[in-house]
Amino acid sequence: MLRIEHLTKHYKGSSKGVTDLSLHIAPGDIYAFIGHNGAGKTTTLKCAAGIQDFDAGTIQVGGLDIQKAPLECKRQFAYIPDNPDLYEYLTGIQYLNFVADVFRVGAREREERIREYGDRFEITASLGDLISTYSHGMKQKLALLSALVHQPRLWILDEPFVGLDPKAAVILKEIMRSVCAGGGAIFFSTHVLDVAERLCNKVAIIRDGALAACGNMEDILRQGQSLESIFMEVVDHGGADRNAD
Amino acid sequence: MAAQTGTLIRLELCNIFGWNVFRFSRDKKAKRKAVMLMAVWIWLLAMMVFYVGGLSYGLIWLGAGEVVPPYLFMISSLLIFIFGMFKAGSVIFRKGGYDMLCALPVSRTAVVLSRLARMYVENLLIVLAVLLPGAAVYAWSERPGPAFFLTLILGVWFVPMLPMAGAILIGALITGLSSRMRHKSLAATGLSIMTMFAILYCSMRISVLGDISPEMLKELTSVITDLLGRVYPPAMWLGAAAVQGDLHQGLFFIGASLGIFGTVSAGVSFFFHQICRGLFGNSARHDYRMGRLKEDSLLVSLCRREFRRYFSSSVYVTNTIMGPVMGCIFSGALLAVGTDTLTASLPASIDLASLVPIMFAGIFCMMTTTATSVSMEGKNWWIAKSLPLSAKNILDAKLLMNLLLFLPFYLLSQIFLILALKPGAEELFWLLLIPAVFLLFSCVYGITVNLHFPVLNWENEVSVVKQSASCVLGGMGGFLLAIPCAVGAVLVPKEHAWLLKGGICLGLLLITGFLYRKNNRFDLCGRV
Repeated sequence: MLRIEHLTKHYKGSSKGVTDLSLHIAPGDIYAFIGHNGAGKTTTLKCAAGIQDFDAGTIQVGGLDIQKAPLECKRQFAYIPDNPDLYEYLTGIQYLNFVADVFRVGAREREERIREYGDRFEITASLGDLISTYSHGMKQKLALLSALVHQPRLWILDEPFVGLDPKAAVILKEIMRSVCAGGGAIFFSTHVLDVAERLCNKVAIIRDGALAACGNMEDILRQGQSLESIFMEVVDHGGADRNAD
Repeated sequence: MAAQTGTLIRLELCNIFGWNVFRFSRDKKAKRKAVMLMAVWIWLLAMMVFYVGGLSYGLIWLGAGEVVPPYLFMISSLLIFIFGMFKAGSVIFRKGGYDMLCALPVSRTAVVLSRLARMYVENLLIVLAVLLPGAAVYAWSERPGPAFFLTLILGVWFVPMLPMAGAILIGALITGLSSRMRHKSLAATGLSIMTMFAILYCSMRISVLGDISPEMLKELTSVITDLLGRVYPPAMWLGAAAVQGDLHQGLFFIGASLGIFGTVSAGVSFFFHQICRGLFGNSARHDYRMGRLKEDSLLVSLCRREFRRYFSSSVYVTNTIMGPVMGCIFSGALLAVGTDTLTASLPASIDLASLVPIMFAGIFCMMTTTATSVSMEGKNWWIAKSLPLSAKNILDAKLLMNLLLFLPFYLLSQIFLILALKPGAEELFWLLLIPAVFLLFSCVYGITVNLHFPVLNWENEVSVVKQSASCVLGGMGGFLLAIPCAVGAVLVPKEHAWLLKGGICLGLLLITGFLYRKNNRFDLCGRV
């Protein structure tokens, strides 16, 4: 579904970036991407979403190269950043309609999906208001709703649980599980290790722009340690396991 | 209070003209852009120096040397007033940092004073850019006494205050009134445009108020003095101090400046929180019920979003709508005055039918929306980049929005021009074609410049719409191009005018086509 091979991205005049990072996200995966602040998580996600160019490596979405066929790749996924700055001059429903138009979602389907997920996230009554009046959590819900409108196969999410109320967080986890059960995949960054441990089937830890460890969650937890202790060990003492598959 | 104000002023001034970012950024691209922006400002400054120096020399050469100082005071004051009027509200009542400042133990007066200080420093630079070259020419030619230099050194600090007070008053009134309404941006836009018309009307009234006799025309000094007295009397007060050494008038100017500026600042400070609460308050209704949704084509959907973006920003609207409005006024005035008077006052060799379409095109394309349309995406730029949209999809919508916005003004102006000029078939063809080609070129050129000089990380729209490199370089493309074309129309004999007009249209269409293709292939993800 998403194949990142030897990704290298460095910012001019800065030591930050990503070096030779490889990750494979298969259909059915809920893949957590964890690391300390400034480790390179957002850079990787932005490169995967095709909104940032990179120096070396390849990124494939559904077998298509993001640099050679960006539009075809972008039709397959939804990207939501950590701080969803949405068009504040539009109302919620105008924004959803705009996204639905871009993805050529039929009028009936968009109505049904917005009604269903809007009610689940308890945001329908606010859809007629300008986004500028929304709280951070409501913006996050609207961004999730805009992804659900076109039902992508791949979700690329940067800190999706930040700002969500507990009920919305539970709903999001349910949606994530159902997306993967339907053959989709989710690749998301998070600092909430408990959520990653309970929700994901795979995890990758990034440290100073390089992949420090990755693998199946079950295999990692079988060693008797929690994700938190493994993370602390990797961050403090370097890589434990390097396995892109 | 003084310490708080000092700290906030230092905070405001540390990034003036992007200096702090330039100083500490390690991104070479960002530094290069900052240098380019600086180069644009230096170029504008050089033009200003050349213009003011030339004007001062011209007045002295015509024997009106004594009006140079008040004239310079008036020019700088008018520039501050015109540029400051529509941005004052957005600068003083800006949202960026408001919540953070409210949570800190700082007084609202300190917040207001720090924001005014930034405006004051920017305006002081305008005053210096106008006064220094003009004063140098005056001092070199007229050899004035010490009173002139003393007035200049002391007065320069107070020159920005009165026009700033006027601009702040208008800006605060517009912002304050619109903050009480549900559709704040739309209200602010409407009020700004109404103010613009009121000022244009008043300026026309002022220029025809007095009866200038033929005897007065021989006395250039009295004509200009009369004009200054009507347009901006305070310039005469400071002028009297500089030229005649009139200490009382100089002190009166300083007192009036301090008094009026202080009163306006105190008023703004008093209503600051009230206006900010109105502006940034939550006016959500939470009463939406799902109804039928409509599916639209990609271009229609993108273009509609562009229109919503445009009308959500009063400063964007007022800055870009001036050209089409002035175009309508120009063509309407031509219809009202009649072409006979104009033809009689021009040399017989000048072909009015060739000159008018170019002049109109230049005025009409004074500032396009496309020149800042990419920058206006700001922090939302990630949305367009992450959606399956090509550069052509995004840029076509920006182009179409600009063309559709200007279309009603173009049609109205053309009706006025056709009625005024009563052109034949060939003249009508050029009258319709030349402005349309200029507009198309200006819009596409605006996008080209903005793609190369984007400013996405902004806090206040004013910095994009009024102060960015692409606004200066891109927005005025058509206007600047019209100047050499108009000179060409004056110089080329009537019988060969069609060749010039055809050449201009063909050349512009070719350049437009070339730029359009280049824009559509631009790497939006990698380079913007």
